[in-house]
Amino acid sequence: MRISHSPQRLLTGGIGFALLLMAACGTSGNQGSTSKTLVVDKSFDMKTADPGREFEISGSIVVKGLYDTLLTFKGSDVTKAVPSLASSYDGSSDATTYTFHLRHDVKFSDGTPLTSADVVFSFNRMKNIKGNPSFLLAGVTTTAPDPYTVVLTADAPNTAIPFIVPNPALGVVNSKVVKANGGTDAVGADKSDTAEPFLDKTSAGSGPYILQSFSTTSQVVMVTNPKYWGTPPAYSKVVVRNVVAATQSLDVQKNVAQIALDLSPDQASSLGSNLQVQQSASPNVFFMFANANPSVSRVTSNKNFQDAVRYGLDYAGLVQLAGKGAIQAAGIIPSLFLGALPQSDALTRDLTKAKAALAASGFTNPTVTLEYPSDITVNGLQFQPGAERIQANLKDVGINVTLAPAPVASSLANYRAGKEVLGYWLWGPDFPDPSDYLVFLPGRLVGLRAGWAAGSDPAVEALGKQAETTVADSARAALYQQIQKELDLHGPIIPLFQPGQVIAASNSVHNLTSNPTWTIDVASFN
Amino acid sequence: MLLGVGITFVAFVLTHLVPGDPAAANLGQRAIADPAAVAAFRAHYGLDKPLPQQYLIYVTNLAHGDFGESQQSHRPVRDDLAEYVPATLELASTAIVISLVLGIGLGVTAAMNRDRIVDQVLRVTTLAGVSMPTFWLALVALYIVFFKLGWAPSGGRLDPGQLPDAHVTGFYTIDALLAGDWATLTSAIAHIILPACVLALYTVSLLTRFTRASVLEVLGNDYIRAARAKGLPERIVIGRHILRAALVPVITVAGVAFGSLLTGTVLVETIFAWPGIGQYAYRSATNLDLPATMGVSLFVAVVYITVNFVVDLLYGIIDPRIRVG
Amino acid sequence: MSLPLALTRPLSRRQRSAVGSAWRQPLALAGIAIVATWVVLAVLAPLIVRGDPLAQDFPRFLPPSPTHLFGTDGVGRDVLTRVIYGARISIPLALLLVGLSLLTGSLLGSLAGYFGGVVDEVVMRATDLVFAFPTLILAMAVLAALGPGLQNAVLAIVVVAWPAYARVVRGLVMSTRGADYVNATRLLGASARRALLVDVLPNVAGPVLVLATLDLGAAILLLSGLSFLGLGARPPAPEWGSMVATGAQTFNFWWVGTFPGLAILTVVLGFNFLGDTLRDALDPRTSRDIRQRVL
Repeated sequence: MRISHSPQRLLTGGIGFALLLMAACGTSGNQGSTSKTLVVDKSFDMKTADPGREFEISGSIVVKGLYDTLLTFKGSDVTKAVPSLASSYDGSSDATTYTFHLRHDVKFSDGTPLTSADVVFSFNRMKNIKGNPSFLLAGVTTTAPDPYTVVLTADAPNTAIPFIVPNPALGVVNSKVVKANGGTDAVGADKSDTAEPFLDKTSAGSGPYILQSFSTTSQVVMVTNPKYWGTPPAYSKVVVRNVVAATQSLDVQKNVAQIALDLSPDQASSLGSNLQVQQSASPNVFFMFANANPSVSRVTSNKNFQDAVRYGLDYAGLVQLAGKGAIQAAGIIPSLFLGALPQSDALTRDLTKAKAALAASGFTNPTVTLEYPSDITVNGLQFQPGAERIQANLKDVGINVTLAPAPVASSLANYRAGKEVLGYWLWGPDFPDPSDYLVFLPGRLVGLRAGWAAGSDPAVEALGKQAETTVADSARAALYQQIQKELDLHGPIIPLFQPGQVIAASNSVHNLTSNPTWTIDVASFN
Repeated sequence: MLLGVGITFVAFVLTHLVPGDPAAANLGQRAIADPAAVAAFRAHYGLDKPLPQQYLIYVTNLAHGDFGESQQSHRPVRDDLAEYVPATLELASTAIVISLVLGIGLGVTAAMNRDRIVDQVLRVTTLAGVSMPTFWLALVALYIVFFKLGWAPSGGRLDPGQLPDAHVTGFYTIDALLAGDWATLTSAIAHIILPACVLALYTVSLLTRFTRASVLEVLGNDYIRAARAKGLPERIVIGRHILRAALVPVITVAGVAFGSLLTGTVLVETIFAWPGIGQYAYRSATNLDLPATMGVSLFVAVVYITVNFVVDLLYGIIDPRIRVG
Repeated sequence: MSLPLALTRPLSRRQRSAVGSAWRQPLALAGIAIVATWVVLAVLAPLIVRGDPLAQDFPRFLPPSPTHLFGTDGVGRDVLTRVIYGARISIPLALLLVGLSLLTGSLLGSLAGYFGGVVDEVVMRATDLVFAFPTLILAMAVLAALGPGLQNAVLAIVVVAWPAYARVVRGLVMSTRGADYVNATRLLGASARRALLVDVLPNVAGPVLVLATLDLGAAILLLSGLSFLGLGARPPAPEWGSMVATGAQTFNFWWVGTFPGLAILTVVLGFNFLGDTLRDALDPRTSRDIRQRVL
């Protein structure tokens, strides 16, 4: 019984073919219009477009384009804050009072003028919502003596304020519009503020872009703000898309996206020459620690054991494993910031010294557990390869390391509680000032996680207090360098490396710069 | 009813068994150290109450159609579901349509050419089809079709920056058709073709094999021989008699397959950046977003039960030997 | 787990003898050949490939060459060695997994089928509950609760897979239970347990075995799928699914992810060829039978 081709099947085949044809036509870029669109591929950690709640990498790219801050940074230079909404500022000599003089010509996207009342509202709202960025203004009060002056008063000397203010989370919102849509800056805003859904649909800022559509899973679309007070940006439409790193490399090679932000150095190495690839050291610092708390581990709290680890690690090898663009972290403060240690001060491997220190500790062939997060990728790097290398390095010294990875949601618990025997983590800067790194001192946030209780090293703690109250940048830098040298040689926390940060872009994007605070400023490209 | 309660309970227990703190997964490195921020987070999501109370609150809210608020997207889980379900539905529907058309067609061909080359080839290829690791196929397809050939886009539902037309069905293709927007329609079709084909491979193979078996069964029946003896053209014999008889069990299989497609798209959605339920479920599970995970599990379980129940009913109707329950 | 077509009728003697001729089909031979090759590779791995699958000794990302047939990966490990050692993880685990599901499911199913009543109700409601959750999602949820890892992944999949066996066995037991020869044995005074073991179970074994063989392929797919998502095998274990996931990171170095994927495909294909032949041999007119539990 022969079967004749049933008409159904032919029809199906025909439709299928037609669809494929249409598909092929549909994909050839639809940028034929005169507007310039910029497509940025990012692996999303997007949660919100509300500046009062936003404190993620993806979010900061978006919020930076929608809202303005009092001060900003020029390009990638984070050692000096330059005027934005404020045309000038002065700081008191004791670093407790900062006065900002606002421009008179700034208008929001709805045409209303921006005044100090909006600044006060935005800052207080962010503080009282008690979300992720609220700590930035901890202990800081915002007041407005007149419509174009804003005063920030800190209850303790805070030299970081000019470096905190440029953060997109301190973007100024249109207070009238936000209040009309459920926003409040009063104490208790963590329960009473309901403006987030509104701000996730419509932006209420003065920035070069306004929000057209927002999704935490697919894409965010921004278009030019017609009432923008500054120079209009070159790209009239910006799309930030959620794409995994592997596909990003394909997208950027086919010019489906113009910028890819999450490539690892390996992925970047295989890109063609018709793309510009910026590989620089990222401000994230990967470090490990040996718990200094004797009740957690008698082994790791032993100072000689810590030295054995310190001199047993192959820093150069770890840097190489991290890929192109990575550098060794000479101290816990990344190379881009004020007060960073020069590379010449970095620790180096000394196997003989390490073995001697282990012998002096009295422990032979000790076995310790190294805990680290198994499922996060930072600058294209996972923790597993580094952990395996650390295990191999310490084996050379005579220390047996058991690897204990766990998903970040569960491993964070042990880490925060200071119970990890050996830990391998990273710190991303909250703001580009060395004072962010005081958390590594004894008795402070990260110090405690490494079992370093207050009083463990009075010398370095005193230096820390001094650095907090010193205002002059040169004096501060010297103090922080001293602190780091002390930490490197005697502390339980050992800085390892700064990974390479890769930004791949099509050659059509000019003036490509990256900034640790907001990764990229889409309005600055042309 | 009991099943419904059982499901909510199992979902609740499983998601809360996870050894991890949702606050840790959702707050930043500084906020987590700030007791006020952590307290605010826990109060907002009701995590500061004892577990049994949390369960009761959850179930009561559920009765009112409130699935809670997602810790990742900060909006009601119901809204999240409303956004992601149509995406998966569109993908699964496209896949099932492709599967039905190809599967039935190939199955009939194989049956009518029993044990000949065509049949043998199809047998091997369909076996290969059900043996294929979907995630690997998706990656290979993406690389070859998008990167090397440039025939299909790399992911997402539309081109970058393109917005869908007015929401009628949530299917970007249908909505564009209704709005008469040709550009969006072609873009939506271009984006759905590849993931739908990858998803469909398994089901096509399955349906081909099942159709073949079903048609062979029918072919042995007397009334077919009678129809042929009457001199009816082969096309009519196939169309009117064979297919109609053979397709009924096949359709029920397709129904079950649809249920699976709807709920088993995690891998394909992740690779093709398709913002659907599968991707949502995976993200919620790994980020310890408890309300979202529970919401998705419940929704998916309900869909699955409904589809299976409908199929059971249909089967009971077709084949009197099998009774439901 | 995939059960393309389940059998619910016990075998007649005539059908059981048909098994012999089926094995001479080309498909069957191909299936046996593939599975046998992989099993041999798995068992004799250390003799076939020299080298440690975990050794990071070689230059990274070398393309396939005579010295490294499958190239090297991102940390400098030989991909061929890892693919072959991967068989030592996937195949035994799949066998274990299917074995456990089979045992648990068959036990519960036969109890339910034989005793009926409350036992039946309880087991059936349990299977309903598991069936209500789609495989991957339930497995993910169980893994999220237990923590990732291969043993936990196996456990998660067993939890998801046993109901299929339970249902089939229950059906078969129920239909056999009513059969005359069983009643005869009982009337002669044999205990329930003896009747179950001697009369009922051998008839159930055939169809269940078909299921199991077809399930082996599905087990490997599910296991590698979970590892692909990061929920199963932990690096640096040379598990195929996680190798594909790593390979997916660097598309341009295509050999890292392609070969493990091909390994999965060929093994599953082999098992499916075998299972298909087995099923055809036991019941050539398979269309009449019922429910599919589709992955």
